[in-house]
Amino acid sequence: MPWPLYLALKQLFPSGRRFPFFTCISILGVALGVALLIVSISVMGGFGREIRNMIVNTQGEVQVRASGLMEDPRAVMTAIEKVPGVVATTPFAEGVVMLQYHNKPAFPAIQGVDANRVERVIPLRKFVVAGDYDELDDDRVILSAQLAMTIGARLGSKVSVYSPLLLEKLKADEILIPRELEVCGIFEIGHQQLDSSVVIVTLRTMQELYGLGRSVHGVNVKLADGFDPDHAAAAINRALPVDGVAKSWMDANQEFLFVLQLEKNMIFFLLLFIIVVAAFSVASSLLIAVVRKTREIGLLGALGASPRQVAACFCYQGIIIGAAGTASGLVLGFGVVHFRNDLVAGFTRLTGSQAALERFYQFSQLPAYLSGTDLALIITSALIVSTLAGLLPALRAAKLKPVEALRSE
Amino acid sequence: MSSIAPILQARGLHKSYASGERRLQVLRGVELAVMAGESVSIRGESGSGKSTLLNLLSGLDAPDAGELRWEGETTLSASRRGRLIGLVFQSFYLVPELDALDNVLLAARLLGPVGALERTRAAALLGRVGLADRAAHIPAKLSGGERQRVAIARALMNNPHLILADEPTGNLDEGSGEAVIHLLLSLCAESRCALVLVTHNAAHANRCGRQLFLREGGFHAV
Repeated sequence: MPWPLYLALKQLFPSGRRFPFFTCISILGVALGVALLIVSISVMGGFGREIRNMIVNTQGEVQVRASGLMEDPRAVMTAIEKVPGVVATTPFAEGVVMLQYHNKPAFPAIQGVDANRVERVIPLRKFVVAGDYDELDDDRVILSAQLAMTIGARLGSKVSVYSPLLLEKLKADEILIPRELEVCGIFEIGHQQLDSSVVIVTLRTMQELYGLGRSVHGVNVKLADGFDPDHAAAAINRALPVDGVAKSWMDANQEFLFVLQLEKNMIFFLLLFIIVVAAFSVASSLLIAVVRKTREIGLLGALGASPRQVAACFCYQGIIIGAAGTASGLVLGFGVVHFRNDLVAGFTRLTGSQAALERFYQFSQLPAYLSGTDLALIITSALIVSTLAGLLPALRAAKLKPVEALRSE
Repeated sequence: MSSIAPILQARGLHKSYASGERRLQVLRGVELAVMAGESVSIRGESGSGKSTLLNLLSGLDAPDAGELRWEGETTLSASRRGRLIGLVFQSFYLVPELDALDNVLLAARLLGPVGALERTRAAALLGRVGLADRAAHIPAKLSGGERQRVAIARALMNNPHLILADEPTGNLDEGSGEAVIHLLLSLCAESRCALVLVTHNAAHANRCGRQLFLREGGFHAV
């Protein structure tokens, strides 16, 4: 082992001392910064991934929307399915209705899906937590979990559905007869907004409610694994036989994803300052050590050490603190990430804020995902900042002349 | 004069320091030759320039004028100094984070990798200075005399040809000082290592083969 590294280790972890206070505090400072970065970026990454999954699981990877109504969806789907990478398509129609059960009204979004095709694109079945997805037919409806709870509907309950078309009838002084649908299933996606205000019916029911005839509003598209949604959307746009536009899920949610990325970047830079502050305290402690050890530094020079080796000794101290702090921070950070839901549950139990958390953050569980790139960025940043912290004291130590250092009081 | 080249030779050394607007002339043409195995003591009043001279002799400082030769060469790099010269200071200058054995080994570490051979030698030197059982103790756990003995072992670690000792008993009581001087002289004699001893103590100085007295910037007969 080169002596500057050996001496750096010995100065940080002196012989005969069980708890090197300065070293532990310095390492802890860096570790806390790294842990905070790991936790924050993981949670941000988790939210991003949840949102991606949620979008893909509810819209498909590419969504094609007609400018008006898509009158011949079968022809459109046939054309889309010829595009390379497209695995399946399913038509949809959507809107808003008034739902009533035992005089409790709600105004959810309504999705009409082709029960025979939708599963190829959107895994609806896996979100059904009560009832049976296969029972969905033209007289039945699947409610989102929180909506069902809000209006008090259960499996087998009959809900009344009022569509905007009925309002047109009201204008013509016709009798207003709502559509009665039986609840055959309850779904929960894990996204608060969708779980509280969406109902799913068959495409035919939706077409009747909105008076669409055989038309639909658009087509959701599933791609083969590894196909780039943006490229696929461009190819679909070229192949579209009708006036409409295909957008990848990233393109359709571009602004939202940009805000997510911006938030993540801002959090990274803000929390990086914790490491910078820790590095300043390391630099300050090492500078004090250089002043305190002036005679020792002089001794090293007198015994044959070069200024570069003396500098390396202090540089290594910064690197060792950075490496140990980063390693400890990774352990601490991943530990917190692992037990995040227990910690959040404990916190919300203490403060009674479980409902508020779900309402505002729209996820019942705190998601976490850390990409390799983010992990590498955190580790590299922490190591660079800590190394820089050791550089200033190292330069100062290297400038000391042995004879003057030995003479110093 | 012997036909063998001296370990250390100083010719016409001059050194001055700025003191306010004046320059204080500390050394004025010092001449000195130290032969292999020889022991030389240098005495002088406080401020007479003993430590300044020792800094020049060790190559830590450069003279304003004059010439220095170490085994015939006029240059002394840091690593060559580490091999050729062992230094003993009044304040010991042990590294507080290292135990006694590591402090001795430090002299070897600075010059290259240390292995079993160096460890054995360091342990033997500690044994020779009577501290075999204190090898794992850090300096804070050692007495002043013990610390200076560790410093002597460190000075001898690289088998130097010359030991320069700057008032090695200055911080020790009489008994410990006597023991340290005895140890220093006997170890230098054993290893045929020349010794230049700067001291205030006449009795210690008299135990060296040659005694010099530094006054008014030059050597005078005692």
